[in-house]
Amino acid sequence: MLKYIIKRVLWMIPLLVGISLVSFLIMHLAPGDITSNESAFNPKASEESRQKLREMYNLDKPVIVQYGLWLKRMATLDFGKSFASHQKPVFWQTTDKDGNVTKGLIQEALPITLMINLLGLAITLLLAIPLGVIAARKYLGWQDRAITLFNFIGFSIPGFWLSLLLMYWLGVVNNWFPISGLHSLNYDSFDTWGKIKDSLSHLFLPVIIPSITGLAGITLFVKNGMLDVLHQDYITTARAKGLNERKVIYTHALRNALLPLITIIGLSIPGLIGGSVIAETIFAIPGMGKLFYDAVLMRDFPVVMGILTIGSALTLLGNLLADLMYAWADPRVRRGVVKG
Amino acid sequence: MTNALSSFTQSASIVLVTLIISACGSSYNPAATSQDLSKPYPSEAGGTLISAMTAEPSGLISMIAGESASSAISSNIFNTLLKYDKNLELEGELVKSWEISSDQKTITFRLKSGLKWADGKPLTSADALFTWQAVTDDKTASPYASDFQLVKKAETPDPLTFTVTYAQAYAPALDSWAGLQILPKHLLQGQDLHTTSFARNPVGSHYYKLDRWTHGENLKLSRNPNSVLGQAKIDQLITRIIPDNSAQFLELMADNIDYMGLDPIKYSRIIPSRPALQQKLALYKELGNSYTYMGFNLKHKPFDDVRVRRAINYAIDKQEIIDGVYLGLGINIASPYKPGTRWSNPALTPYPYDPAKARQLLKEAGFSDTDGDGILDRDGKPFAFEIITNQNKEREKSAVLIQRRLKDIGIDVKIRAIEWASFISRFIKTGDFDVVVLGWGLGLDPDQFNIWHSSQQAPGQFNFIGYHNPAVDQLLEQGRLELNPDKRMKIYHEFARVLLEDSPIVYLSAGYGLTAIHKRVKGIDDPAPPAGIGHNSQDWYIPQPLRRNEISQ
Repeated sequence: MLKYIIKRVLWMIPLLVGISLVSFLIMHLAPGDITSNESAFNPKASEESRQKLREMYNLDKPVIVQYGLWLKRMATLDFGKSFASHQKPVFWQTTDKDGNVTKGLIQEALPITLMINLLGLAITLLLAIPLGVIAARKYLGWQDRAITLFNFIGFSIPGFWLSLLLMYWLGVVNNWFPISGLHSLNYDSFDTWGKIKDSLSHLFLPVIIPSITGLAGITLFVKNGMLDVLHQDYITTARAKGLNERKVIYTHALRNALLPLITIIGLSIPGLIGGSVIAETIFAIPGMGKLFYDAVLMRDFPVVMGILTIGSALTLLGNLLADLMYAWADPRVRRGVVKG
Repeated sequence: MTNALSSFTQSASIVLVTLIISACGSSYNPAATSQDLSKPYPSEAGGTLISAMTAEPSGLISMIAGESASSAISSNIFNTLLKYDKNLELEGELVKSWEISSDQKTITFRLKSGLKWADGKPLTSADALFTWQAVTDDKTASPYASDFQLVKKAETPDPLTFTVTYAQAYAPALDSWAGLQILPKHLLQGQDLHTTSFARNPVGSHYYKLDRWTHGENLKLSRNPNSVLGQAKIDQLITRIIPDNSAQFLELMADNIDYMGLDPIKYSRIIPSRPALQQKLALYKELGNSYTYMGFNLKHKPFDDVRVRRAINYAIDKQEIIDGVYLGLGINIASPYKPGTRWSNPALTPYPYDPAKARQLLKEAGFSDTDGDGILDRDGKPFAFEIITNQNKEREKSAVLIQRRLKDIGIDVKIRAIEWASFISRFIKTGDFDVVVLGWGLGLDPDQFNIWHSSQQAPGQFNFIGYHNPAVDQLLEQGRLELNPDKRMKIYHEFARVLLEDSPIVYLSAGYGLTAIHKRVKGIDDPAPPAGIGHNSQDWYIPQPLRRNEISQ
């Protein structure tokens, strides 16, 4: 098992280099660089000053040389500094000689996005698993139909529209929830309990909306997995030997029905750091989605590359974890009967 | 920068509008409006003003950052030597007077005495000299350096005097000094301006100082007790970062921010139709600082022919664009200067909408519909071209109206909207376009050498339409050498006249800047002077009974 893990991890290195080369090339295929953003289109700004900026960031060199410079930095895990944000470090904080700490862009954005997505995923799973089980047990009954209807309404509603609607209803008409942002302006004056309450109320809408819209897929997965399993012989056996229905469903059936879900969760790990541009824009959340989107528009190459590299590393890691979890959950994979 | 997004959120806000109108009748937030907002209140100090901006500044050294988000905040923190008064005439800010030598090459600034930085250290001419050195330093890549590189010699004969000498007289110099924020030498000496943490933790001399910058959320400014210009009324300025316009508007409705810039729909449809909003928000309209135009690539046929350009100018109904795109909240212009200011030539009138004249001019230029397909042609080639613009809703809509009017006179127009960075690098820089719809600023200084002089056509320079007129070149050169405002005015009036006649671009419209401010904020000039409502923001005040109770220091 250990050998298998080591082999898989080592394989990730050439894969990552390949991914980064392709990303780098594609990014540089898009016309423009940091000097072609909208604020640089100002008659007071001379072409010489833009040229100076290009030289400062090595943008005047051939793409392959720039890639070499980037790779050299990456070899020491140095993600570099953003072009657009006053040269803030891309990944992790740096300290200058006077002891001033400058936080990294990803360092600041990642925890926010992770928290929102993990909470969202947890809520989705908490709702989807029982809903899927109920729908499978009452297959074609009114409960099943009601759940399907609810899920598909949630699935078809555009997230931004639902967001604006709820922001208006819960934030403007009724002053129940804050409309946007992560904290109240007087957050610092609250006690610990007040701070938690404030954070949770700010997170409520950004977390609940993607959960509702994302519910349909997972519920369907659980339901179908459950339906498959419920028709298997061992369930009949379990029932025949007089086990109570609860135990049949939740101990015997569910465990097997959840297997495909592991793959889905493994694949959603890179998505956890991705963040949604639209949701983050609407709710004014300084997360990864907005960071990436702005970096692409500004042609802020170090930030784009930083996020892509971390994202692809996590995707590979997610795949690995999914395989390992499969091995843990399914003894046939573990013992090499079926290749995972 | 967020064009794709804004087009998306625009459709979102339209949905929202429908929603708001249909959900009419509910009253919200009675707490803040229980006081009578329209009663007169005496001016008093204190309170917090909350606003929002769509993008976070990259840093607060605006000569490095270059973007508007940065200067919007830093202009509350740093002073400049000169500033524009409410009528857009220059006056001293850090200086009490300035003199121009008889050969017009040397400007001597006399600083006010007793100036201090927010940390209590004296602000002297050494700081001005340091700032000039910093912006022109070879290691600094400031987008605005070129104006200051023309200074041959800068000196500080004493702590209150700062003199700059130019190789030759340079009229836009004063305007450039009104734009350069003076930085503290004692904190920045020996630092790299591109990486210094000062950019996120600045010390200035203006009305406010930065208290706290919460990344991605807000910037809190509080009154600077050492302010060189006396004390502002409002204690605290908070700027929240809310990228989405609809979300900003919801925050405004919920009374969580005090003011925001509006688009024409919100200004003339949504707010007037909601009594609850009308009751608490005051609307302001002021002439904006930019105009939209359609520019021809003069190196491409047939736009090298002045008759064709004028024909197209006559064929476009500008009022229709103003009414359709800006809901009437814009004006027609005939020169690239703010109407009502000294530089705008009052004798000029825009091209009227006159399709008959357009047809006649095109006929003179040799265009006729020989094959009867409804499209004019010349030498067997149909008159067809593509308008390109960036993904900006107003510009796209304007282009659509132009397309329709030009079809009327037999010109086949296609429209393409392109993401900004690609637009600039792939089309503008390479000169690979027929016609663009874009915007230029209505600068406070009349010098537009970089846009219209024939020497400014290299890739990356701003005369990308390829305009070349020796008479205009000469006027632009003259205008740069003349520091006497009255003589200068005559030069630019003539320049604008020739430009209008040549019609290298079609002025489409200059939109109004529209703002909604909560009525708790008092002391705002209405109607707005030429400099806009913000010119006296230090005197705005929020009377005690109208303040928010939940936000205290």
